[in-house]
Amino acid sequence: MLPDLAGLRGGAAILPELVLTGTVFAVLVLDLALRRSARRGRVLLLVTCLGLAAAATAIAGVSAGAQPLFYGMLVADGFALFVKGVVIAAAVVGAILAALSPEIRRDQLGEYLILLVCLTLGMCLLAGARNLLMLYLALELVSLPSYILAGFRHGDRRSSEAALKYVVFGAAASGLMLFGFSLLYGLAGTLDLPGIGAAVVARGLQGGLDAQLLVVVAVLLSLAGFAYKVAAVPFHMWCPDVYEGAPTPFVAFLSVAPKAAGFAALLRFFLSGFGAPLGFPAPGEFPWPFVLGVLAMATMTVGNLAAITQDNVKRLLAYSSIAHAGYLLMAVAVGSPLAIRGVLLYLPIYLLMNMGAFLVVMAVHDATGSETVDGFRGLGARAPYLAVVMAVFLFSLTGIPPLAGFIGKFFLFAAALQTKSMFFYAVAVVGVVNSVISLYYYARIVRACFLEKPADAQAPVRVGSPAAALLGALAVPTLVLGIWWGPLLGVVEKALLLPR
Amino acid sequence: MEVGLTHYLLLAAAVFLVGMVGFIVRRNTLIMLMCVELMLSAANLVFVAFSRELGDEAGHVFVLMNFAVAAAEVAIGLAILMEIFRRRRSVDADDLNTLME
Amino acid sequence: MGFEFVVVLLFLTTSAVIVGIALWLGRFLRPRLPSAEKASTYECGERPIGSAWFNFNPRFYLFALVFIVFDAEIALTYPAAAVARRWIAEGRAWLVVAEIVLFLAILVAALAYVWGKGELDWNRDLAGPEEMP
Repeated sequence: MLPDLAGLRGGAAILPELVLTGTVFAVLVLDLALRRSARRGRVLLLVTCLGLAAAATAIAGVSAGAQPLFYGMLVADGFALFVKGVVIAAAVVGAILAALSPEIRRDQLGEYLILLVCLTLGMCLLAGARNLLMLYLALELVSLPSYILAGFRHGDRRSSEAALKYVVFGAAASGLMLFGFSLLYGLAGTLDLPGIGAAVVARGLQGGLDAQLLVVVAVLLSLAGFAYKVAAVPFHMWCPDVYEGAPTPFVAFLSVAPKAAGFAALLRFFLSGFGAPLGFPAPGEFPWPFVLGVLAMATMTVGNLAAITQDNVKRLLAYSSIAHAGYLLMAVAVGSPLAIRGVLLYLPIYLLMNMGAFLVVMAVHDATGSETVDGFRGLGARAPYLAVVMAVFLFSLTGIPPLAGFIGKFFLFAAALQTKSMFFYAVAVVGVVNSVISLYYYARIVRACFLEKPADAQAPVRVGSPAAALLGALAVPTLVLGIWWGPLLGVVEKALLLPR
Repeated sequence: MEVGLTHYLLLAAAVFLVGMVGFIVRRNTLIMLMCVELMLSAANLVFVAFSRELGDEAGHVFVLMNFAVAAAEVAIGLAILMEIFRRRRSVDADDLNTLME
Repeated sequence: MGFEFVVVLLFLTTSAVIVGIALWLGRFLRPRLPSAEKASTYECGERPIGSAWFNFNPRFYLFALVFIVFDAEIALTYPAAAVARRWIAEGRAWLVVAEIVLFLAILVAALAYVWGKGELDWNRDLAGPEEMP
């Protein structure tokens, strides 16, 4: 039986991915061709950004539809297109950060950009994956370049160590996930997520105890891979080490984009695989919302409590990103339309504030050589602009109105409260308590900036004009979206209008 | 005795457990990567067994793809391992403690 | 299934017995001249030097890695080859060819990049910079 060639239709819908592939080729060839040119770095950055911009334009041109493409491998619905837009925006910022950072050697910038665009391609495929095989391949296309980029500072023992920890634990997590996938395939007899969802529901309800047990084991194992990618408890251990050791421009990217794509894949896995929305389980069904809710609570709490004692700012932000994964996981557990809207709204806001915070960390590190909280002492006097935008990003991460982070968190918590279930009330309360805890450590950095004197008289910290402009481009929307979030919400609503 | 699906699944589960336990107890990162390969092989075995049982080709394709992915993953892992070994003459996980407080 | 493992066992035993008999018969025909040279490890006629347990040059290892990656990629062309005959019969030969050519082009581009970067040179400095503690 040969499927009809019509299944291959959809070339237009994957135009963004094709453009990204073309960009990889262009940078690859140019990097070789311009080996001896002094302007190589600038040309490569320009080509990369143009390619990413072209891919973003292509996304705008794709007509969203729930029709599966390529025999059901991919889907280009509004949800996928929105996430693709977010990760491409993150890639643009990530490429510029790499070009600005002295941590990436000039002669290796081309290599860095190639891997960055490969990673972006993987995330775009991940956002639209509708089949276990595609999901696995896309996830690995995200993981493999990440391992290399984490160890990109050659000759630095911390960077290689970060990369090794990342690759060893990453490989183990994908091993667990793959075993889960293989069992799911056996249970359902298909690799398509909707087919698996139907089979899992049927087996879970009517099958014997052994079938139910197998479903639970398979889904839990699959969950491990996703939990690793988004740095959720109990697979978060790599996160602080990798964030501390890897080059800062890559960490800024890693903390946002793969997390966004990972959550997109997790949502699709659970919602299109298990019937949308999850809602509360029918009797006899395994309570997945409960499992995810407990994971969410554990993730937020572990992240926030561990962040309190950190002195290294990159480590601190690593634990903070774990905590944020917890808030998002709460919404995934709820799984209602409002929760999906909340997740989609949160992703671009998180991009702005987290990448902004890392950019400030990078600027301070380049000027003072320090990555600790003490390095921020007296920053308010030495570099007022940096200190003020850092305060904006950190308070937004806490979720204080009227900043963008508040709006993001508001929708996540609203979704939890809307369920009107005691369990999700409890999760939301834990989340609010955690937000209060997070204020303590975020404010510690702000206090160091404005209230503490530097240990010794130090020169003012200078920021280059490209970095300053990029900071402004991240900080202004963080401020504006907190007051005027209507347009962004409109885009999200439009993205979710079509049925999945 | 007929060798059926159950036997393949039991074998796969055993291989998977050996890999997982090995990953947890061994401290040599090279051995840890090998244990991960065992876990991947176990998954491949399940895919092939189910693929044959169901008469569906998707499982075979998954295994082929997985070969390439696993090779790439291990190539990257070993390259990073070599970089570390060249500098500190050890690949023991307990020696990788630069990044801890 | 009509497949008995007893047959395999019988086959294995028979072959072991035949080899044993052949070796035993040989004792009556061959001259017996033991020497220290003969007791040493056989290395293609060369005299073995030093211990066999030493670290290989990491360059071999680099090439082995490149080989493994490319070797595994070939497995990915197999699905296209499997349907090729059927698709050619249906007049879609160009699709199979295009897929394989595109796939190989991507591989070749990556290989050319590595080559151009000088990573395949045998006399490359592998020691790298000194470790920064």
